[in-house]
Amino acid sequence: MSPLAFDPFASGTLLAGGVMATAASLWLLLPSGRETGAVRWLGGLLGLVALAAFIATGRRLGGLGEEAVFLIVSLVAVLSAAATIVSRSPVYAAIWFALSLAGVAGVLLVLGAQFLGVATIVVYAGAILVMFLFVLMLAQPAGLAPYDRVSNEPFLSAVAGAVLLGVLSLSIGRLSASPAACCGVPSRTAATPIAPLQPGAAVSENRVPETAAPASRAPETAVDPLADNHVARLGGELFGRHLVAVEAAGVLLLVALIGAIAVVSRGEAAHAGVATSTAGPAAGGRAV
Amino acid sequence: MNTVQSLPLLQNALTVGAILFSLGLVGILTRRNLIVMFLAAEMMLQGISVSLVAWSRFHGDWGGHVLVIFVLTVAACEAAVALVFVLQAFSRTGRLDAAAWQSLREATITRTVDQEVPSIDTVPYRFPTLTPAGVLPPPDDNEPFERRHV
Amino acid sequence: MQEFSLSTLLVLVPLLPLLGAIFTVLLGRTLGAKAHLPAMLGIAGAAVVAITLLAATARDVGPARGDHAEPVRPVEMISTLWQWASFESAYTPPAGSPAADPRLTPADLVAGKDVRAFSIPVALRLDPLTATMLTIITCVGLLVAIYSTGYMHGDPGYPRFFALVAMFVFSMSMLVAASNFLLVYVFWEAVGACSYLLIGFWFTKPQAARAAKKAFLVNRVGDFGLAIAVFLLWMTYGTLDFHDTISADGVIMPGILGQTRLADAAGYVGGAIGTAICLLLLLAACGKSAQLPLHVWLPDAMEGPTPASALIHAATMVTAGIYLITRSAPLFAACPGALTLVSIIGATTALVAALIGTVQNDLKRVLAYSTISQLGYMFASLGTGTLLGFTAAIFHLLTHACFKALLFLGAGSVMHSMGGVIDMRRFGGLRRVMPITAATFLVGASALAGVAPFAGFFSKDEILAALHSKAWPEPHGGHHASIPSAALPPSLPPTFQGAASHFHASSFSPTASAPDGSMAPESTSSLNALDSLNRPETWQVLFWMSLVTAGLTAFYTFRAVFMTFTGPTRVPDGAHGHGHDGHESYESPSAMTLPLMILAVPSAMIGWLLFSTNWLAHFLSATPSLTATSVAATATPHVFHINLAIQGTLAAAIGIVVAAIGHLGRRSDGPQLERFLGPVQTLFANTFYFDQIYAALVVRPLEGLALVAALFDRYVIDGAVDAIAAAPLALGGIVRRSQSGLLQRYALAGVMGVLAIVVLLAWQLRG
Repeated sequence: MSPLAFDPFASGTLLAGGVMATAASLWLLLPSGRETGAVRWLGGLLGLVALAAFIATGRRLGGLGEEAVFLIVSLVAVLSAAATIVSRSPVYAAIWFALSLAGVAGVLLVLGAQFLGVATIVVYAGAILVMFLFVLMLAQPAGLAPYDRVSNEPFLSAVAGAVLLGVLSLSIGRLSASPAACCGVPSRTAATPIAPLQPGAAVSENRVPETAAPASRAPETAVDPLADNHVARLGGELFGRHLVAVEAAGVLLLVALIGAIAVVSRGEAAHAGVATSTAGPAAGGRAV
Repeated sequence: MNTVQSLPLLQNALTVGAILFSLGLVGILTRRNLIVMFLAAEMMLQGISVSLVAWSRFHGDWGGHVLVIFVLTVAACEAAVALVFVLQAFSRTGRLDAAAWQSLREATITRTVDQEVPSIDTVPYRFPTLTPAGVLPPPDDNEPFERRHV
Repeated sequence: MQEFSLSTLLVLVPLLPLLGAIFTVLLGRTLGAKAHLPAMLGIAGAAVVAITLLAATARDVGPARGDHAEPVRPVEMISTLWQWASFESAYTPPAGSPAADPRLTPADLVAGKDVRAFSIPVALRLDPLTATMLTIITCVGLLVAIYSTGYMHGDPGYPRFFALVAMFVFSMSMLVAASNFLLVYVFWEAVGACSYLLIGFWFTKPQAARAAKKAFLVNRVGDFGLAIAVFLLWMTYGTLDFHDTISADGVIMPGILGQTRLADAAGYVGGAIGTAICLLLLLAACGKSAQLPLHVWLPDAMEGPTPASALIHAATMVTAGIYLITRSAPLFAACPGALTLVSIIGATTALVAALIGTVQNDLKRVLAYSTISQLGYMFASLGTGTLLGFTAAIFHLLTHACFKALLFLGAGSVMHSMGGVIDMRRFGGLRRVMPITAATFLVGASALAGVAPFAGFFSKDEILAALHSKAWPEPHGGHHASIPSAALPPSLPPTFQGAASHFHASSFSPTASAPDGSMAPESTSSLNALDSLNRPETWQVLFWMSLVTAGLTAFYTFRAVFMTFTGPTRVPDGAHGHGHDGHESYESPSAMTLPLMILAVPSAMIGWLLFSTNWLAHFLSATPSLTATSVAATATPHVFHINLAIQGTLAAAIGIVVAAIGHLGRRSDGPQLERFLGPVQTLFANTFYFDQIYAALVVRPLEGLALVAALFDRYVIDGAVDAIAAAPLALGGIVRRSQSGLLQRYALAGVMGVLAIVVLLAWQLRG
């Protein structure tokens, strides 16, 4: 592998330290029996240390503005995500998750995925999260249930997550713009400015078949998501190249909808059957 | 345009995605509440989405965006169906506990029961009260409940 | 044409009973009460054919001649049915062995010029000895079969019994007709197996099963001796055939008892190897003929049905040992020490069995010990090694077959009528209610006791004469004349005469000595000891022992007769009586009394008939085995020894008188004479503690060994297998604990597995 301006050995200890700090902080923070305030403070501290280590191994993005923006949104996402999983109350966890979604949307926008950033907020935070909250309202007992106050194998899980994070970070650190011939990943050789594409030619250009050749793509067929009519071009790609998949996804949604209704109605019939069978054997109703 | 630093951007975004994914993994493995488990699963999907978009930006390719859209779609379906099942499970056991279902265990193993559940030192919340002034009205039987404090 | 029909007849003798057995097995159930028909027809046919063969052989031998100037020529007819086993180029005989071809030099032998084949032909032979034995076997077998239709009537195993009897007749016929030692071994085992099946006929009775097992196992000891003897014979003589065979290129392969070897004075090996062969053959004969120390099975064998006892343990199977030794007479004649041992064992057995028989209260046991005793007589006679001794033994075998079968069938008749009771103290005075049985039993008893002129008197007299001639050898006599080896019987064809001189045991081992006792000079010390027994003093002791045994025989026989048939008539409960014209009769049905009457005739007459004409001795002397120079040289003129007759009769009379004093006319359960014997009586009654000694010496150690083996099997081997099985169980038990049913733990296990793979991949790709 041809290394970039990045020496793996210098940040090796940082990475290892970060991993261990992550594991320790998660272990301390996850709900269990030893939740005194001091422990939580220590866990939080270790978490911040881990975060600092990961930031230190990060890359310089060029301008300070860009760095600051990226750092803020990613910090929001990460800290909220951590809070989601260590909150003892599931409602709080849902709220923290919403905040994490906001952070993720910000990251997506920084990456130039305008449609997806907004779609994340709309679909996830607007629909899915609300559904979760409804279920919590229906099913959550008052106060903290006993099973919210304990974790299942916190130590091993924290270690597993931290090790995974460490391996992933290590692999990320080894990425290069021009990989070896063995890997065969299409990539862009160097940064070249992209000419904004014509709206009319968007559809036809997006019909160019993708090749899996190890040679880098020709710059003129590269896509710049930050150009105009981002959504239109994305839509053109979707309904052009991936039409069948889109239709299938629509069918999938329909099926999920019908399935959910069917399961719910069967469950209600079962409940009704149980209620009426106690009244008399002549009453109809499926056996539970 | 951030094309000059496209690799560092990629790496940073991938790092964020990796962190989100790992946190989500830890959440699924650890938390006992079914809803929180699903939240963590959604978080893993978020991490994946971030990674996919980062790669797509790096390669100049729509593929990552398209895949994230499908991920979104599938996540929505999954959430709907899964929550229906969670409600069914709740109606059977009365709890949202992942450890309530242990029928898959071996015949010789006994059911795992929580030991040492830490107690909540719940201090009953003291609502602010006004000093009662004047004469207390007589108790009224039509009142559904008594007001203890204002 | 004549030869063809004779060989066909010879094959028919074993074949017909075999077919009878097969048909009984196949059709027994459907025939029901007539299940005896196939077997009886088969045995009857075989009897007719055997008598025909006897007549034909007698005609071939020719009439008895008064003078013995020229020796009797051997008569035999070999018919080879098929080649059973044949391996080319099987071995090369060692230099100097009797099997080697002396025309070849030792260098030729080493170079592999003399390569022989191993071949076992299924060959039958017909000679006087075989003809005699076949007649005895088939005729007694026929009478026993007729008797059994009455005795076994109503038994659920009726077809099985007749199948076994026919099978036995087939096996015994093949044994005496086989012309190959390996075939003899095969049918030796076959008769042992038939005996086992017949003793254990009522196998649901534990004593019967135990007795059958005991008989088979004791016989096994003898069979082991026969097997080793066969191996040694093969190694020494290079063939197992009795007869001479001619190979493809015209070379004569002399059989062990073939005419070329018999004519050769140095044809048989003496010394260590020869004595070993003879002693092993003696061991086999002791096993089959129930001699000391392998006699313990015969009294217990009385658990079987009485007709089976009559056929097997009186007349035929137990005589297989006598037959074997007579057939191997030339082999024994080369080892005088072995011959002496045969006589010693025979006489000792006769005396010990007679002593035990005096105190038995079970009628069949008395007859069993009497059988052992009479077989001992025959062995004593065989061991003299003279022609007179061999022929006297066969003569006694013939008369013994008649009167012992008669006695056993009579005892069976008594047992059948008394409802299964055979203890003599529980019945008495039966002559009034079973007249035919009583009369025939008396005839048989007189023959057994040696009362003139019944059959046993003459045969016992001959045996005593043989012993006497060895005990007090005359200074001159015909049996010392030694025939020079160059003088061959004139009837041999010239080719045999020329070839015979090529084959003789020249330098393999010390040559055979003259049969009257000069010692081989190069024997080992044990052989020396054995040969040193061959002194006149030994024979004198044996003679007196035999005389005393004759007296004891008469005593216990007539004790049994008086206890059973005289005295006040007492019948036990459960006896099968049928009254007619006011007088209760317990006589057996005619199917059973007819054979008794038939057998009474030869028991009375045959001794005098054969002795006065000397026909049997002359007939048997034409047997090839007995025409060997070493045996034929001991021929003596046929005289009636009056002094021996007087001694024998005196001994018998004393025995009968003592028995009469003690038991004639008295109640059979009264005080017995044996109370005068004191502690000796206990010794006799417990059969000299042979069973207890064997139990302590052999049975208990083997049971201990079996227990050790069983414990080893159960705890070590099974324990090892169980441990191997327990290991996966334990491992599974440990692994099973991870299946807790908690989903998140399963997920954690999956994640850790994935992590392991990912870390491994990252490690592999790190470079």
